[in-house]
Formats: sequence, C-alpha cells, structure tokens
Amino acid sequence: MGLLTILKKMKQKEKEVRLLMLGLDNAGKTTILKKFNGEDIDTISPTLGFNIKTLEHRGFKLNIWDVGGQKSLRSYWRNYFESTDALIWVVDSADRMRLSDCKKELHSLLVEERLSGATLLVFANKQDLPGSLTAREIREALDLDSIKTHHWLIQDCSAVTGANLLNGMDWVVNDIASRIFTMD
Amino acid sequence: MADWQGNYSVTTTTEDQMSAFTDKLIKREEERQTQLQKRRLEESEQSFKIQDSVRNFLDSFKSERRDLETSLAESKSVESSKLVEHFDILSQRVSKLQRYVSESAMFLPPYELKTAQNLLTSLQAKIQEKREELLPKKRFAFKSSNKKADKRTVVSVGNKSEETAKDSKSEDDLVIELAACKFVGTSNKTLQKNGNEINQKDIALANLTDCVVLLYGAPSAIHMNKLKNCKIFSGPVPGSIFIRDCTNCTFVLACQQLRIHSTTNSHFYIHVTSKAIIEDCNGIKFAPCNWTYDGQDEDYALSGLSKERNNWDSVDDFDWLAADAHSPNWSILDESERVASWNV
Repeated sequence: MGLLTILKKMKQKEKEVRLLMLGLDNAGKTTILKKFNGEDIDTISPTLGFNIKTLEHRGFKLNIWDVGGQKSLRSYWRNYFESTDALIWVVDSADRMRLSDCKKELHSLLVEERLSGATLLVFANKQDLPGSLTAREIREALDLDSIKTHHWLIQDCSAVTGANLLNGMDWVVNDIASRIFTMD
Repeated sequence: MADWQGNYSVTTTTEDQMSAFTDKLIKREEERQTQLQKRRLEESEQSFKIQDSVRNFLDSFKSERRDLETSLAESKSVESSKLVEHFDILSQRVSKLQRYVSESAMFLPPYELKTAQNLLTSLQAKIQEKREELLPKKRFAFKSSNKKADKRTVVSVGNKSEETAKDSKSEDDLVIELAACKFVGTSNKTLQKNGNEINQKDIALANLTDCVVLLYGAPSAIHMNKLKNCKIFSGPVPGSIFIRDCTNCTFVLACQQLRIHSTTNSHFYIHVTSKAIIEDCNGIKFAPCNWTYDGQDEDYALSGLSKERNNWDSVDDFDWLAADAHSPNWSILDESERVASWNV
C-alpha cells in the first residue's frame, strides 16, 4: 500500500473536501457562499480578508474558502492554495470592461503547482442581469478551451436568484469524488 | 476369562465407538458440504444482485439519456414561448440523472462510473449549446428596442451615444462591446435615462468628460470607468455600483454596495446599506445622499433597497488597514461645503 493510497483512504473516511473560491472583486463570491448556505444576502459588504464556511452537502463536508478579490488582496491568494481540491472561479458576467483582467488572473492561477490537481469550476455569475454575457461568451473570452491541465466546467448561474448554484456544486463534488475517493 | 471378557468388551466398545465416530465424521462432512453449497449459493446470489443492480442502472441510465437526447433534438419544434420551461425541465432532469449516478457510485465499477459521468458532461454541454442557439440572450432583441428608446431621449437630450459607442469599440481595454444600456465616449452633454429603460438592468458608463448623467429609476447594477469632471446621479440600486479611474467627479448614488477604485478628487453623496470601499484612491470626500426626485419612493420600493439604513460614513480603505488611525485617502465632506440642493 503506497502512501497515496493511505492518504486516499484517510480522506475517504472523512469525506471532507476543500474548495477555494476566487475571482475579481465584485464577482459575487460571498453572495454565492451565503446563498448556498441559505443566509441573507442583502447585507453583504465587500470582503476585507476572507470568509470560511463548512457545510454538509450530499454526505460530503465542504470547507469553502471565500477570499476577497480586491487588487490589494490578490497577492494573498497564494496563502490559501495548499491542499485545495477544487478552485471555484467566479466571474461577473456583466463586467465586460474587466474580462481581460479576469482572464489574466485565472490563467496565472492555473500554472500554480499547488493547484495542479484541483478541479476547476467557473461560475458565470449574475445571469439575472440582462446585459450579462452567456456562459459560451465567457468561455471564449477567458479562453477556457486552452486549459488542458485541469478538469473544468463553466456553469452559468445567478447568486441573487440561486439559479444553477447547486448544479455547479454537484459537478464539483462528483468530480472530486471520482478523482480522490476510491470506490470499494 | 475375566480378562478375555474384559478384553472382548473393550474391543466391542472400540468398534462401536469407531463406527459412531465414523458416522459422526460422515455426518459432519455432509453438514459441511451443505453449508458450503448454501454459502456458494448465497455468494452467487449476492454477486448476481450486484450485477443486477449494475445492469438496472445501465438500463435506466441509458433510457433516460436517450429520452433526454430525443427531447433535446425536438427542441426546435417547441413553441418559442415554452422554450425556457422546456430547457429548465431538461436541466432539471440532467441534474436528477447526475444525482442518480452519484448515488449509484457505491456499486458501479470505475469504468461504468467514468463513462456515465462523461456522457452526462457531454449531455450538459449539448443542452447548453442548444439553449444558447435557440434562446439567444435578450440583449440582441433588446439592442434594437434600445435604439428606439434612445431616439426618444434625443428629443430632450439630443445625444449621439449610440454612434459614439460604436466608435469606442476599438478601445483596447474594452475587449467586448458593452451591454445595450450605456453612455460611452461623450463630452459636454446632459444624458438621461428613465425607469422604463433602466429598471432592473445593468448600466455601463465609460469615457465621459464634462457630462451630467441622470438615471431616474432602479437599475440592478452600474459599472463606471474613466469619467472626468462629470456629475452622476442615480436612483436606488439593489446590487453594486463599481467605479474606477474617475477624476474630479461628483457622484450622487444609492446602492447596496459601492466599490471605488483608482479615483481621485471626487465627492460622493451616497446612501449605502452595507459599506463603501475604496482602493488606490485619494482626495475622496463623502456626504449623505440628499438628491430627491418625483417617483423616488416607488423606485426604492421596486429596488427593495432599505431607505432607513445608510452607512455613508463607514468606509473601508483597502490600502489602509490600521485601525487606530484614520485613512488619509478619504474624509467626510464638511457640511459647509456640501451642495444643499441639486438643480438638475
């Protein structure tokens, strides 16, 4: 039994996964987290620092880390990379003026060694706004098709209405489960 | 004699014992065999059960998948008014199927699991593709109606924002054309939009100089970029307002979140229900929002923004984390310097 197998077995027992939620400021990361957890979303202030929530979902214990996306905080993102099972990249689909920033930041994360095994979910958030770009347009703008190093999926969603948040989370959990937890 | 008898009796007992022993052995062997057979039967039954449930899974997965593909293929013949519902049902069924797969993961061989998951992912992608093909985002339709709307405002404003917007498309930082609801690349104008044009929409303001922008209504979100010497007024925004690269401007805004970046020498008259933040800013002054217009209460009701809660003087500076000293980048606008009434 190799060390990896032992580690896998240990994780399997706990069924615990660590999700890191990043994205530019104003993308809606905290709103997604709170909506997913069933909390009030009307009083959210821009995140100075980070939020962490542990919640049960389909028998899994999800530790979701939501780190502020302000330019001055992005240099601290690296402190949260360790043992991340999935990266959730949140995009403000209506923020057409900063898509190139968004693309640049995302691709700089994907070359990080400590995120190399992580599943990538891209949330095309704010689909409730009529001026938002579609998931396909975001996929092209962020050049997601060039990503060969990570399992990825883009999911359109709206944190305000809650639409498709569960779909995305279900995919993340399934993808991690099929990767990490060995099936007996 | 006694000895012989004794011996004899001993021998008999031994023989009796022996036969009894053999009987016992045979009996035990028989018992063992039946038990073994029973166990074998059970085992094969169990493995049959697993195989059965795998087969069951594969069958129902296949039929549901086929079914989904057929209804997806029939999407074209669905009435356009029912398309949204049609696609919603499809995605619901896919996520149900996804749940079925994960619940069955326990007994599925890894290969089957992988195959099922791949099929699901491709199905999801197909549905999304079809949806985007048949249900293009509203903004395409919205754009043409917006032109009409713009013409209506031409009477009062006489703007050319539609044409100038096209010119600015080539700007290097605007990779993608801005959404339909916008004012871009204008100077020395009074620009106005009313509730029927902007309610629940997201608005972009970019590259404006010496302009006055009046947004009467309750838009969902506003993005502002590169404004100079402008005055911006907006009704209540239930979401966030995002401002960057502005100088010498006055903003009169009501919103849930206010994010200000790389902005200098500007005054903010604000109503903010959470907290305003600034980053890379200096010379920013805040005052409470004091602009009123006819129909403002209705706009507040429509937006759902609280009229009572206003944290206009609670500002986070992301470049100033010391709690014991006040940030040098922003201050409260002295009451004597505040504009008391807006003639707009």
